[in-house]
Amino acid sequence: MKDLKHLYEFENFLQEANNELVKKAKDEGGIALGYTCYHIPEVLLNCGNCFSVRLRAPRTGSMDIATYYMSNFLCGYSKAILERAIEGGYNFLNAVLASETCSEMNRSLEHFELLDLVPNDKFFVTFLDAPFKIQEHTVKHYVNQTRIKILDMLRDVYGVDTSDEALLKAVEEHNEVCRLMTEIGNYRKEENPRITGYEYHILNLVTYCCPKSLILPKLRETAEELKTREPDAKKNYRAKIVVVGSEMDDPDFTALIEDSGALVVADRYCFGSMPGREEIIINNDEDVLTQICRHYLKTSQCPRFMSHEKVQERRDFVQKLVKEYNADGVMYEQIKFCEYWGYERALASYVMTNDYGIPTAAVDRQYTASASGQLRTRVQAFVESLEIKKIAKEREAKKNG
Amino acid sequence: MKYFGGCDVGSTYTKCVILDENGKMVANVTNRSKINPVASAEIALNDAIAQVEGLNSAKELTYLIGTGYGRNKVPFADENISEISCHAMGVHVTNPEVKAIIDIGGQDVKGISIDTDGTVKNFAMNDKCAAGTGRFYEAMANAFEMSLPEFSKLSLNAKNTIPITAQCTVFAESEVISLVGEGKPMDEIAAGIQLAVAKRCFVMAKKAGATDSITLTGGCAKNDGLKKAIEKVLKINVVELSTDPQLMGALGAAEYARQKGLAKEN
Repeated sequence: MKDLKHLYEFENFLQEANNELVKKAKDEGGIALGYTCYHIPEVLLNCGNCFSVRLRAPRTGSMDIATYYMSNFLCGYSKAILERAIEGGYNFLNAVLASETCSEMNRSLEHFELLDLVPNDKFFVTFLDAPFKIQEHTVKHYVNQTRIKILDMLRDVYGVDTSDEALLKAVEEHNEVCRLMTEIGNYRKEENPRITGYEYHILNLVTYCCPKSLILPKLRETAEELKTREPDAKKNYRAKIVVVGSEMDDPDFTALIEDSGALVVADRYCFGSMPGREEIIINNDEDVLTQICRHYLKTSQCPRFMSHEKVQERRDFVQKLVKEYNADGVMYEQIKFCEYWGYERALASYVMTNDYGIPTAAVDRQYTASASGQLRTRVQAFVESLEIKKIAKEREAKKNG
Repeated sequence: MKYFGGCDVGSTYTKCVILDENGKMVANVTNRSKINPVASAEIALNDAIAQVEGLNSAKELTYLIGTGYGRNKVPFADENISEISCHAMGVHVTNPEVKAIIDIGGQDVKGISIDTDGTVKNFAMNDKCAAGTGRFYEAMANAFEMSLPEFSKLSLNAKNTIPITAQCTVFAESEVISLVGEGKPMDEIAAGIQLAVAKRCFVMAKKAGATDSITLTGGCAKNDGLKKAIEKVLKINVVELSTDPQLMGALGAAEYARQKGLAKEN
């Protein structure tokens, strides 16, 4: 396939958190707001002159100092974020909006304050209390938390316009990103998709890590370019898979999967597009903030919701993706020591195979996947087993006429 | 006659098998791996080719498949297949009754269950460190100042087992040296080491779905003490293979090469 015009530039934007577009937005007077979790409604961090940066720690090396503060047996993402902050990689931030969603990230972000990591007098970290259940009173609590911990703080510290009009404008911009990503994502349903999983991963990550207003023109251009893009006549993959799991911001992981013969057609992981890139539909029946909060709670697929119906809903959702995107199997990935995905992955990988009849592999991984020969072997073996099963199924179908 | 090759470039040993079109093994080689996987593969292929009359170079093989950690470095290979799939196929053609494998290689341990057609049904893999792998055994044998074959038999007559608490190769080596220094019986320490590895294998085998019998493949399959410990821990029968278990990856690759090569020709 012909290379996407902006792909190389997008890859470069992902080389560090404080990328060219972030710097530009800051120079233009933007307020940079870091966050790490879906339970911080991204759209709220884009109202007024603010812009959101979902935090990553690309090219993470040693995590010695973060390990000293946090311990060995904690999620690599949480530690990588702290290590990068200690290295000064987030000095451009005006605030970090955190959620008490998982205790590991909570501890990591607490250290931003405890160690006074960002040299900015106005810099602050707030922690909102996200509910474990979705009921009317918990929605109300969540709305209250986002108002006090996010909107009021931004207004009081940085004078940000957090009116309903400002929120609606942010929703509008957010929705355009979502529409474009959905349009692009739909190509992955094609028999021979015109976009690879790696390319989609890069596009999706830049929408999280770059200011929306600056990335949108390039995204529009990419969507236009894809309308006429021809896939290679010969398929470059042996099986299509859906990747499901915990935090994943490493496009090299997707590249590793695709180098091993698979094509990633759907991404149901934190930092992915499902959920994350659904439009927020606002009506006139209730206030804007409540509708935004309700959207995030309703679309969340986080395994911290442990009620039976939510667990079931998540498995059904994966099944739906497999059908919609004509996938041959599912790969559950979990960042090592993730407190929620550890359980989800262990159970789901068994249940999806045996109860849903969907071939499923489970891998636990480090924060960065590069140079993992063992992981490559594991993925390749899974792809081979999917390919062989597919061939056997086709042979059987031929035999039965 | 057409010939088909499988070359398993492992981290410690490189193995090569050549099959004829009827599936008969006509050549096999096991060499210590070099630092350069291309050189390892080249030497093993040449050694195997030398065993087959009328075959002069790897280019003359109808189909060649690379496997093992250096699988994409095998010169002239038509494709590469993961060692997990190859071990399953190798065991299947050797003994189709066996449905589960514990493969202990130089740098990882894998549990593999096999489908009726020799393909992988499920697998589990310990890929985080060298604990319980060939490298671990080399370190332990080194600590005992013994060769690997000597060390593998040491635990067979032990009356007791001294548990080894450290799983890490480096820490286990220190622990073993301390125990030897304390004057503990060497065979009982060795039995503890074998038990520690057997426990690790237990987890892999069970995760992969092993039930009534398993077989061991990879270089460590030749370790008698481990075989005994696994039978004790897993409480399932360890089936002996009629072909060298260290060759299973290369044999599986050669069998895949035979199937794919013949299908391509037809």
